[in-house]
Formats: sequence, structure tokens, C-alpha cells
Amino acid sequence: MTAAAAGLWRLINGREDIGRTPWFWGPALAVIAVFALLPLEATEFEAYNVAYYLLNVPMALGLSLLWGYSGVLSFGQVAYFGIAGYTYGVVAGNLAPSPWAPVIGSAAGLALAAAVGAVFGYFVFYGRVQAWIIPILTLVFTLLLETFLGQTAGYQWRIGHVQLGGYNGMTGIPSFQLGHLIFSGYAFYYLALVITLVTYFGCRILANAHAGKVLLAIREDVLRTELLGYDIRLHQLGVFVLAAVLAGLSGLLYVQWGNYITPSQLGLVPAALPVIWVAIGGRERLLAVVIATYVLNWINYSLSGAGNEYAPVVMGALLLGVMLFFPRGIIVTLSSGWRPNARKGAAKRDAVFDENGR
Amino acid sequence: MSIAAEPILRAQRLSKRFGGVVAASGVDLAVAPAEFRCIIGPNGAGKSTLFSMLCGIYRPDAGRILLKGEDVTRLPAFRRVRMGLGLTFQTNRAYHLLSVQQNLEIAARAAAAGRDAETEKRFNYAVSLFHFDSEDDRPARELPHHQLQWLEIAMVLAGGPEILLLDEPTAGMSPDETMQTAGVLQHLNETGLTIIVVEHDIAFVRKVAQIVTVLHQGYIFAEGTVSAITAREDVRKIYLGRTQ
Repeated sequence: MTAAAAGLWRLINGREDIGRTPWFWGPALAVIAVFALLPLEATEFEAYNVAYYLLNVPMALGLSLLWGYSGVLSFGQVAYFGIAGYTYGVVAGNLAPSPWAPVIGSAAGLALAAAVGAVFGYFVFYGRVQAWIIPILTLVFTLLLETFLGQTAGYQWRIGHVQLGGYNGMTGIPSFQLGHLIFSGYAFYYLALVITLVTYFGCRILANAHAGKVLLAIREDVLRTELLGYDIRLHQLGVFVLAAVLAGLSGLLYVQWGNYITPSQLGLVPAALPVIWVAIGGRERLLAVVIATYVLNWINYSLSGAGNEYAPVVMGALLLGVMLFFPRGIIVTLSSGWRPNARKGAAKRDAVFDENGR
Repeated sequence: MSIAAEPILRAQRLSKRFGGVVAASGVDLAVAPAEFRCIIGPNGAGKSTLFSMLCGIYRPDAGRILLKGEDVTRLPAFRRVRMGLGLTFQTNRAYHLLSVQQNLEIAARAAAAGRDAETEKRFNYAVSLFHFDSEDDRPARELPHHQLQWLEIAMVLAGGPEILLLDEPTAGMSPDETMQTAGVLQHLNETGLTIIVVEHDIAFVRKVAQIVTVLHQGYIFAEGTVSAITAREDVRKIYLGRTQ
């Protein structure tokens, strides 16, 4: 038991993410505590807003694993976000009076996101599509889906008794519910917080596990990795499906938060946003992605709440600035600068290495 | 090495062209188990293309490849690796951004099918080959050139291949390092490993090769023992760039 716990701790505290010392874990636990206690101070409305900044984190983490850790850029994460959201709306909406409708709807949403991701990923990776074509394919898929859903306005576009709703979107989507506990207000805030934390630590464990190292190897050299005997197609497909499921998780939280979804969630601007969050924080580090996603969603929400169109302009300008001055992302660049002993240690090891006669 | 032994690796009439360039034209190759073969030839003779076809990076336009008697012509590269083939590239392709330790770990894990004890055994073996430091967490790009070459060889050997293909493994090494490399490879060959090396360094070839194959303009120009090959006037001529 303790051996298993120690093993788990090694995976959580591995080298493939920011922060491994008590100087990190102390403040990190303090931040988690602040979030856990937030409802004591915040109104239900404020907690609901914070939940919105959090609910995009799983999608961003999936993109970080896919792009930052595996080297495959996707512009189509919102497609899986939308698939899960719409599926939840249809399934939970049809089963509506049943208290288990939201659970079944959530499972169906994630399952369909995974299935579509698997089919798409199968053709891309088993067809050995060149890496730079993949972003285009994913974006095209997203825009196709948006266009399709946009023309579902008529009454004939209904599944069961749920209307797809065209560009007006699907409304009246049920909130999440477990038995008789309905997750709205503070309860939804805690749901979003717990899912954010669980997906973050889950991704961190994966990144530090052997599977994560293989992803790093594939990112650096696909052919070398295949010629060590790895079936790279399978690994790439696996991380692609995982990223689709995580985007689906964000989509579920989104429709359970706002009780509606429209095809514009799958449009060009929303498709670019996850790429912007991940790039600005630093795609190679999960924690950087979590922080950037939270902060940028907060900025975005505050700007669009003011009732103007500044938000996309500000996001675009931020992305441009980061690409020019911090190509690895702001948070990743800052955090790698904060290790004054790194070089000294390496120099010492060089010396030891040479003493051994090599 | 017995002439009668069934070849562990055989290429039959392999051909490959890239646009108008014929990189291989009817190449036949038969390598016996535990043989140490060197492939030489001037630049552009098709040596790297031949290796790429043998390990599955390129599919030949025509011809067959038999690995341990089995037709692998259409198998993806990783399946051939799992059948016992290992390859290092002409330009070093160890993971330059990952640490030395991670490089060897990823390589050791590949063939161990997830078993920890097996991974550790293979990792320790790979570390011992060229006396690496098992806890070296420098990025591999900080290694001196010859150690980077050794690292990639050690990574491939961690997989426990039966046939090792090395594309110019000693390029850029000092004569001393070249001979050290030759020593390690010779020792492995004596324990039963089949080795095929593309090499320009003739001192290296003289030291290790049992049979030398000369490639020229995509076909096999000559094949024989080192002394017989190096004595041939026509081989010297193509090496100097004069084609008849």
C-alpha cells in the first residue's frame, strides 16, 4: 500500500511538469484551499463565473498533451466539446424527468466524443498523414460540424422531443444531477473545481508515466521512436482520443453550466481560443496551461461582459506578443528561468562523467 | 561463418527510384547469421536507401525482403524491429532534447513489453556497453559527438536486436574512438549478433569486416573478402569517382 502510494507520488511529482519542491507544493495547496473555501466569501453568481473559467481547463489540458507533449496541433478540440455538449442535451433532454438522465447523458456525450475522435484519429494516424496537415483537417472538421448544426433550425431537426435549434442553439439543457442532488450554484462550482483538479493531476501522472515519455519521444523524432519498436500510430491515436474526451468533458460542463449551446461554440474564433490559451501559458507544461486557461478565460469573460468586441482583439494581440517574445509560452519561460542551480549541477555532472574515463 | 547457413536477412532484386534517380536497381543481398558485413561505395551509391528499404522506411518499387526467412516487404518498420532488426541513422537521431537516462529508458522499455524487471535489465545492459552514467540527466545534445553516436547504438542494442544495421556509425569520430567502437561491435558480433555497417572509414572496415559489399549507382558492383575487394583496381576507381 505504501509502496503504491510512493509510486503514485513519484508520478505526480515527476519532472514533466512545473513544480517539484515544497516551495511549489506549499503555495499550490494554499491556492487549492482558497478555491475550496471560495464560496464562503463569494456570492453564488461570482462562484458561477469562476466555474466558467475552470470548465475550459480539461479541454486545454487535452490540447497540451496532444500538441505540447506529442507534437500534434489540433484546431478542432471544440468539435469534441460540441459533440459531447449536444449529445448530452439530446440524451439528457429526452430522458429528462428521470434523475439519472444527466448521468446517462454525460456518459453518452463522452462516449460519442471518444468514438468520433477514434474514427478521425484512425484515418489520420493509421493513414500516416503528415503532421502539418492535421491542424487543417481538424479545423475543417470543426467548421463542417458548425455549418451542419447551423442549418438544423427547422422543426424536422429534432431527436426525440429535443430540438437541435440551428443557429439559435439548443436551450433548456438539464443541469447535472446525481440522484436528487442538482448541481447548480455552489454545487456546480464544486463539480467544476473537482473535475479540474482530477483531470490536472491525472494528466500530470500520465505525463510522468512511461506512456508520457513515449509521447515526448514521438514529439522529438517519430521515425527514431518507430525504429525502437513502438507502434507510434497507436500512441498518437490514444492521446488524440484522450484529448477528445477531455474536450468533451469541458463541453459537458459548459452545457450543464449555461443550459444551452449554439453552433457558434464550434466556430472559427472558439476553435482558435484553446490554441491561444495553451500557447500563451506554454504548451509543454500542464500547470502553465491550467493557469493561462483560467486567467485568459477570466479576462475574456470580463471583456465580453462589458458588452463590446474587444475580447478577440486582445486575445489575438496577446498571442502575437507571446509568439514574438516567449515562443515557449510566458509561464514556461518564466519558470525555467527560476532555477539558478540547474546549470551549476549540470557542470558538476560533466566533471564526474569525464572522470569515469569517457 | 558457414556458407551453407540460411541467411538471416535477404534482399532479392530490390529496386527503388526517386523521380529520375535510380537509388537501387536489382540489389541482391544475403547475410548469414552472426556475419559482420560492411557495405561501401561512393556517395550516392544507394547505401542509405538500401538500409531504409531493409528496415521499412521506404517501400521498394520491386523486390522482396526476407527477415529470418519471412517476407517482411510490406511490414511496417516497428514490426521488423520487433522481429529483431535494429538501425542507427546516418545523422545522429538520439533524442537530443531528452536526458541520456530517458533516452536509454525509452529504448529499453520498447522491447520489454512493459515488464519492469526486463526494462531494468535492458537499461543496465545498454548503460554498460559504452560506460554511460545511468543517472545522467543532461540533455543528450550536451554529449560529445562520439558519445552521442554511442548513445544511439546503445539505444538500439537495448532492444536486443539479432541484426544490427549501422549507417556510418564512426563518422566524425577520432581514430581512437573509431577503434573503440569497432572493438565493442566486434565483441558483440562474436557473441552472435549479425552486423551490417555502411562505412567509409577503410581502417574500420579492415578491422571488422568479414565480407565487403561494394554498391555503385544503385547496384552491387562487387562482393568479397576485405583483402580481395581492396585489391581490386576497379573498386578503387569508382571510389575515386572515375566511372568506366
